[in-house]
Amino acid sequence: MSKLLIFLTLIPLLPILTTSFSPENPSGRRVLVLLDDLALKSSHSVFFNSLQSRGFDLDFKLADDPKIGLHRYGQYLYDGLILFCPTTERFGGSIDLAAILDFVDSGHDLIIAADSNASDLIREIATESGVDFDEDPAALVIDHSSYAVSNTEGDHTLIASDEYIKSDVILGSKKIEASADIAPVLFQGIGHSLNPSNSLVLKVLSASPSAYSSNPKSKLSNPPSLTGSAISLVSIVQARNNARILISGSLSMFSNRFFRSGVQKAGSPIKHEKSGNEQFLTELSKWVFHERGHLKAMNVRHHKAGEADEPTIYRVNDDLEYSVEIYEWSGASWEPYVADDVQVQFYMMSPYVLKNLSTDKKGSYFTAFKVPDVYGVFQFKVEYQRLGYTSLSLSKQMTGFFIFTAVHLYSK
Amino acid sequence: MARNLGGFLVLFLAIAICEAASIFQPISDSHRSAALELFSPTDGSFGSLEDTYEALRTFEILGIKKRPDISTASCQSVSETLGSSTSSLKDVFHALKVNNILKCKVNDETFQGVAKRLKAVLNDASSLLDFYYSIGSLVLIKDQNSEVDVLLHDADGVFRSIKALSQSDGRWRYSSNNPESSTYAAGLALEALAGTVSLASSEIDQSLIVTLKNDIVKLFDSIEKYDDGSFYFDEKLVDAREHQGPLSTTSSVVRGFTAFASVTSGIHFLDVLPKSVDVGNYKFVFEIVLHDSEDKNVYATGGQTQVPVFVTGLIKIDNAEIAVLDSDHGSVETQKKLDLAGENAVSLSANHLQKLRLSFRLATPRGNIFKPHQAFLKLRHETKVEHIFVVGNSGKQFEIILVKFLGSTDFLGLVEKFFYLSGRYDIELTVGDAVMENSFLRAVGHVELDLPEAPEKAPRPPPLAVDPSSRYGPKAEITHIFRSPEKRPPQELSLAFLGLTLLPLVGFLIGVSFFY
Repeated sequence: MSKLLIFLTLIPLLPILTTSFSPENPSGRRVLVLLDDLALKSSHSVFFNSLQSRGFDLDFKLADDPKIGLHRYGQYLYDGLILFCPTTERFGGSIDLAAILDFVDSGHDLIIAADSNASDLIREIATESGVDFDEDPAALVIDHSSYAVSNTEGDHTLIASDEYIKSDVILGSKKIEASADIAPVLFQGIGHSLNPSNSLVLKVLSASPSAYSSNPKSKLSNPPSLTGSAISLVSIVQARNNARILISGSLSMFSNRFFRSGVQKAGSPIKHEKSGNEQFLTELSKWVFHERGHLKAMNVRHHKAGEADEPTIYRVNDDLEYSVEIYEWSGASWEPYVADDVQVQFYMMSPYVLKNLSTDKKGSYFTAFKVPDVYGVFQFKVEYQRLGYTSLSLSKQMTGFFIFTAVHLYSK
Repeated sequence: MARNLGGFLVLFLAIAICEAASIFQPISDSHRSAALELFSPTDGSFGSLEDTYEALRTFEILGIKKRPDISTASCQSVSETLGSSTSSLKDVFHALKVNNILKCKVNDETFQGVAKRLKAVLNDASSLLDFYYSIGSLVLIKDQNSEVDVLLHDADGVFRSIKALSQSDGRWRYSSNNPESSTYAAGLALEALAGTVSLASSEIDQSLIVTLKNDIVKLFDSIEKYDDGSFYFDEKLVDAREHQGPLSTTSSVVRGFTAFASVTSGIHFLDVLPKSVDVGNYKFVFEIVLHDSEDKNVYATGGQTQVPVFVTGLIKIDNAEIAVLDSDHGSVETQKKLDLAGENAVSLSANHLQKLRLSFRLATPRGNIFKPHQAFLKLRHETKVEHIFVVGNSGKQFEIILVKFLGSTDFLGLVEKFFYLSGRYDIELTVGDAVMENSFLRAVGHVELDLPEAPEKAPRPPPLAVDPSSRYGPKAEITHIFRSPEKRPPQELSLAFLGLTLLPLVGFLIGVSFFY
C-alpha cells in the first residue's frame, strides 16, 4: 500500500525527472553513441571526454546491440545520437533509418561519421540529411597539394585542410589554435557533395581546389565524380525545427591519434605541434548540441511613444515604440544576445517599414517609427535568420481595424 | 655455422614479432600521447619500482623527452631498496633497472653490498626467479659501476643449475619441485643464461652452449601462427598458474633469445637500395631464405615483412602547349606555348567546329615517362558550371595527352555536355601524384567558345549550390514614404477668397434685413 502511494506521488514528478529537449533547456544531456567496435571508446576518448566534461551523459552501445532503442512508451530516451559505426549495415533493436529520421524530425541532434567502405545504411542517412557521399566504396579524398606531411602515409589521402567556414557561432570565436597561423585540420576518409536543392546544409570544412575523390590504388579513366572545393569534408545541417546534424566523411578525424598528432601541410615550412582537430570538432560539437547559436525571443512589446500600454489600434502617423528581448543559450544559461542586425518589419502583404533594431547589449532590442499612412491590418514581424543560429520568426498582429472616416477626418 | 644460424634466427624472430601489426607503423606522436596518458604519476611517483621502470622504459623507447619529473621520489626509493639488506630480490632488480635510466647517485659501497648479497644468493639458489633476478641485477651493476666485482667464478656451475630446470621440449620449470613447465620461464632462463655467459670470469664450456642451442630449436617447435601470418609463443596450458598471455610470453622468449644471441653471436644489417630506383610506389619485402636446403627441416621461414615505400621526386614538365585545331584538316589555327612551372594567361577563341588540344610531357628524374594519377583539365564557365576531363596519354609519343573536346565526331555529345553555353571558359590544369613532389594546379588562361543556340529540348545546366551567405544577413531598410500634403495657397489668400465668397451672402442678409 505504502509502495503504491509512493509510486502515485512520484508520477507527477516523472516529467521533471526526464529532462529532455525543451525550449527552456535546448541542450539535452543524454546522448546515445553507437559504435562498430567498443575499442573506439578508448581510441576516440578525447572527443568523448570533452563531451562528458561538458555534462553530457554518453550511453555507449554496439550498433548491432539487439537491446538498443531510441524511444520507449512514446518518449525519446535520448536527446542526441552519435553514429560512429560507418560499416554497420543494420542497427540492432528498434533502430532503423526511419527511426533515426523521426528522431531528427522531432528536433534531436545527430552526428554521423562515415569512412571508406561506409555501409549503405550510413550513406542513406547522409543522403536524407542532404549530402551525398562518393558512391565508389573504395574512393578516398586525395589531394596532392594540400596533404599532411607524414612519415607513414605516402598516398596523400591524409588531408590537411584549413578551408573552414568563417563563422564564429559554428566554430567558436577563438581562432583554431590561437597563434597567427592556423593549424590545419587532419582528415582521412571519403568526400561528399551537398545536395544543391537543400538549402539547409552547409559545408563547414571543404577540400582544396586540387583535391579529388578516387581510389588511390587504381588508375583513373573517367573524371572523378567529386573534385576540388566542391568536395565537402565536414558538413552541417540545421533543420527547420532547429535539429542539428553534423556529417563527416572521416571517423579517424575524431580519434585521439589525429587530435594529438602534429601537422605540417605540404609546401608549408610551419610544423604545428598539434592539429586543429580537437578544437575544430569540440567547437563544432558545441554547436551541434545547441551549446551555441540557439536563440529565443521573448517579451515583445509595442506602444505609442510616451505611453506604456499596448494599444489595440494605432492611428496613422502615430509614433510607436517596439521592443523585443533576445537571448542565446550558452549550454548552461540564457545569455543576452548581442548583434546589430536584428530587424523588425511592419508588415501587411509586404513590409511597409523595415528597420534595424538598436540594442542595449543586455538582450533588449528596440526601435521607434511612425505608423505609415496606410489603412489596414498590420503585423510586427521579426524574421531573424543568420548563418549558424536558430531562426527566429515572431509576428504579432494588430487587433482591430482603423475606423476609416473618423481617422480620416481627424487627420485633416 | 651455429653462429650464423643464430644471427638469422634473431632477424627472423624480430621480424616475426614486428609483423604482429601487418602494416608497418613507426612510432608517432599518438603513441607518445597515449603513453603519457597511460602513465601519469600520482604524488610524484608511479608507485612500485616495477611500475616506475615500465613507465620510464616506455618513455625511453617512444623517445618522450618531456616525461613527468619523478626522479626525486624514485631515486630515493632506489637508494632505500639497494641500501636495505632485507629488500626482496625482485625489488633490487627493478631498482637497478630504474637506476639504469634515471642515473641516481648510488655510492660504490652500496653497489658492493648488493653485489655481495646477490652472489651469496646465487650460491644456494634453486628457483629460476632467484637466478633470473640475481644474475639480471649483477649484469645491471656491471653496466652501472665498473668498480664493483661482479664476475662469477663458477659460471659453469650456475649455467648447469639453470639448465637443470629445462625440459625436453625446450621449456623451463620455475623450480625443481614445480612440475609445470612454461614457455615464459624459458625466456627468463635464456636471459639469465645470457647474463651468466657475460658475467663469466673465464670462457664458458662450449658444449653447454651447444646443448642450449638445441633446446632453443626445440622451443621453436611450439611456435604458433596467427591468421595474418605472424608468429607467437604461448603457454601450452593456458590455464597454468603463471599464464601471461601470448604477448608477454612472446616478448619474454624474444628478450631471452636476443640476449642469448647477443652474447654468443652478432646481428646482421641490411643496407642496400638499388641505384636505379626511380620515383614510384615500392614494397619493401623481407623474407628469409635458408642457405642450406637441409635446414628447411629445422627452421621455419614463414612470415614476410612488407613495408610500403614511396620514392618521390621532381617531375620535369616540358613541351607544354595549347592549340586550337581545325577539325577537318587538323591544321593548327592558334598555338601557344605554356610554361607550366609559372603563370600563364592564354587567351583563345574557338567555335564548335574546332578542336582544342593541350599537350605536355612529364618525365621522371631518370628520364622515363611519368604517368600521374591525377591529370585533370577543368573548364569553368562564367556561370560556374564546370567540366572536368581526364587527360589521357598516348603511349608511344612522349606527349602525354591530347584532349579533343570539340569536333565533328563528337560534336553533339560535347556541345550538349556544355549545355550550349557560349562564352568565356577558364582553363585549369591539375597534375598530381603521390610520388610527384611538384604536383600543381594551374590556371592556364581562358577560351572564348562560340557554340550554337540551344534547341528547345536541350538539357539545362544542373542547379548550382547557392552560396549560403547570400541567404543570410540583414535586408536593406525600408522606410515608408508618407504622402506629402497637397499644395495650398497661403492662408491670407484663402481667407480673402472666403471673404469674397461670403460677400454676396452678407449682402443678401443685409438686403433681407433692410426690406423688412
